[in-house]
Amino acid sequence: MADVTLENITKRYEDVTAVDDMNLDIKHGEFVTFVGPSGCGKSTTMETIAGLTTPTEGKVIIGGRDVTNLPPKDRGISMVFQNIALFPHMDVYENISFGLRLRKYDKDEIDRRVEKAAEVVQLGGMMDRMPDEMSGGQRQRVAIARAIVRNPDVFLMDEPLANLDAKLRVHMRTELQRLHKELDTTIIYVTHDQAEAMTMSDRIAVINAGQLQQIDPPLVCYNEPQNLFVAGFIGSPSMNFVEGRITDNGFNSDDVTIPFNPAAYNLSTGADVTLGVRPEDVFLSRNSREAADPTPPLTAYTDVLEPMGNEIFAYLKFDEEAESDMEKGIMPGQLLISVDPDTAIEEEQEVEVVLDRAKTHLFDTATGNAITHQIAPIDSTGAGGADAEVGSDD
Amino acid sequence: MAAESHSDTEYGRSGEEEPDLDRGPIEAWAARSIKNPDRVYKGLFYTAMIAFLFTTLFPFYWLFMVALTPSGSLQNIILAPSTFDPTLLAQGDLTMGTNPGAFVEIFERLPFHRYMFNSFVIATITTVIVLIVSSLAGYIFGRLRFRGKSPLMLLVLLVSFFPPAAFFLPLNRLFNRNIGVLEPILSDGSLYNTPYAMIIPFSALFMPLSIFILTTFYSQIPDGLEDAARIEGTTRLGALFRVIVPLSAPGVATAGVLTFIAVYNEYFFSRLMTDPGADNWAPIVRGILGYQGQYETLFNLMAAASIVGVLPVAILVVVAQEKIVSGLTAGALKE
Repeated sequence: MADVTLENITKRYEDVTAVDDMNLDIKHGEFVTFVGPSGCGKSTTMETIAGLTTPTEGKVIIGGRDVTNLPPKDRGISMVFQNIALFPHMDVYENISFGLRLRKYDKDEIDRRVEKAAEVVQLGGMMDRMPDEMSGGQRQRVAIARAIVRNPDVFLMDEPLANLDAKLRVHMRTELQRLHKELDTTIIYVTHDQAEAMTMSDRIAVINAGQLQQIDPPLVCYNEPQNLFVAGFIGSPSMNFVEGRITDNGFNSDDVTIPFNPAAYNLSTGADVTLGVRPEDVFLSRNSREAADPTPPLTAYTDVLEPMGNEIFAYLKFDEEAESDMEKGIMPGQLLISVDPDTAIEEEQEVEVVLDRAKTHLFDTATGNAITHQIAPIDSTGAGGADAEVGSDD
Repeated sequence: MAAESHSDTEYGRSGEEEPDLDRGPIEAWAARSIKNPDRVYKGLFYTAMIAFLFTTLFPFYWLFMVALTPSGSLQNIILAPSTFDPTLLAQGDLTMGTNPGAFVEIFERLPFHRYMFNSFVIATITTVIVLIVSSLAGYIFGRLRFRGKSPLMLLVLLVSFFPPAAFFLPLNRLFNRNIGVLEPILSDGSLYNTPYAMIIPFSALFMPLSIFILTTFYSQIPDGLEDAARIEGTTRLGALFRVIVPLSAPGVATAGVLTFIAVYNEYFFSRLMTDPGADNWAPIVRGILGYQGQYETLFNLMAAASIVGVLPVAILVVVAQEKIVSGLTAGALKE
């Protein structure tokens, strides 16, 4: 059994704090992915678990053993690196058996284990190839074989697919999932590609600026992001945000008004909040695929359309005259929506859209923390109870 | 006429055969060169190459001829010893009037092999020490980040700027002194006339260059490889010697060969740290000079000894040359 626990891990370089008071609890057999933008501290966190970096403060506990001050070789871990890191002066057999030979296993045992590991990653008959004679995918398999051959308690993978081409990456993704099932070990996986994180993990740990933002199963991170960062980071294209203010009868911004009862969410009038809604949760009000629980329609104008085949991404603007700048992504006053590919929609057209209340989020603008992941209509009795002032009981 | 051919040349460039055959050979050559500059570059390259080879190899040839000339007829060498006569071969004289016996005589007059052994042992031990220590230093300087790294590196390099003569007096005094701790190991407790008197200062003197070379090499090994080795089960030191050093083989070979050659050929320090005589760990050059007596100087023996002395280094360079070339140009070629 190899649970991995991080207790108050902090790593400071001279004047930069790479990891800031990180607490994590990973169960045996779990596949946990660290995601976050470049430089967010996810790799440093992994290096701390691996022992390549000593934390400034805090403890690393693997399988109930405090390993904070142990060298990497004594931690019962193995690792696959972004740049694959096969030893170029050794052939495949020597690469895979490197760790076993260092541990002075006997020859037969090494042969048996190397053969088995090579079988798992489907690398038969390549034992005497040198790394520079192999393709990227084959090298990655060797690296994985090298990692599994020692039967480690914990598997660390630092963006192992980042250097592969797109097609191979998707293939290796499935391979890794298969491997996880076969091996039944804890896997900690680092990536900045949220598609990898969503598809493979049991839980995703979203990290930003050295701090853990949220650790939850992928769909929980997607549907109930704990703060603005997670909401914006998970999901592609990312969530629309509209900054506004709470008034007596709901959410108000220059362009968007959503009526609801603020008291139901303990919001006081005048509070600055940000409304978040994913592109697929905004619907054209004339469209047949209407939202289950729509907000009142909002008037907007289509700007650019991006037909993807299975859907169309439409950039909407609330001000007809507004100039868009595609390089800057979605700007305030814009809304990205995803519509059905058969929808009759043109550029520079006036449209009415509704948001799905059940999938509309509210965040505190100042702290970024989520307030709610659905906004009940005023006449509803749900979501914290209707307020007598505006509510009307059915 | 000259003006005409110039204009022809210009037209000739466009691919037409020049119709004008009416010009001098130099002008024609110039015209061809302008059209095809590679010919000139090639020509210049071969000229420079031949000049370079001549200046480096001719002294060897001359040395060989001096060695083959019987003592006493040295003033008569032109390109071969004056006694050289190929017709003697027909009479069964394989030496053709020369004196290859000098190559045997050098070992008879003096224990020249012992001098070679001395130099070889001192050079080998120094090289090993330099490589091990500068590998450690190169690892630190090339792969770790710490405060004051650059000043420290400069300080190390500064040692190599010192004239070695500056160290001689204090070292000579030190090595001539009886040091009590050493008495169980060395008969009189002094380092004078022992190989240590040379190995220690040589190691220090040649260390900076090796540190510099190895720092450059070790810093270019990707961090991932070292991390991978440590995860797989080595210590930092293990990663250095199992992964970083093998991958930096050209650099290690370069540092090693440069150190070996420098120490093997060294005379100044060795001369001052030993008494003459093979048993006192005197080096090769001391041996060569041993053929210079008070009344006669046996140039042919000195020449023969020089050639024999050079052989181990020549073999070493031939064996290691591929690595050395890639080592010296590594900075330019590594992507």
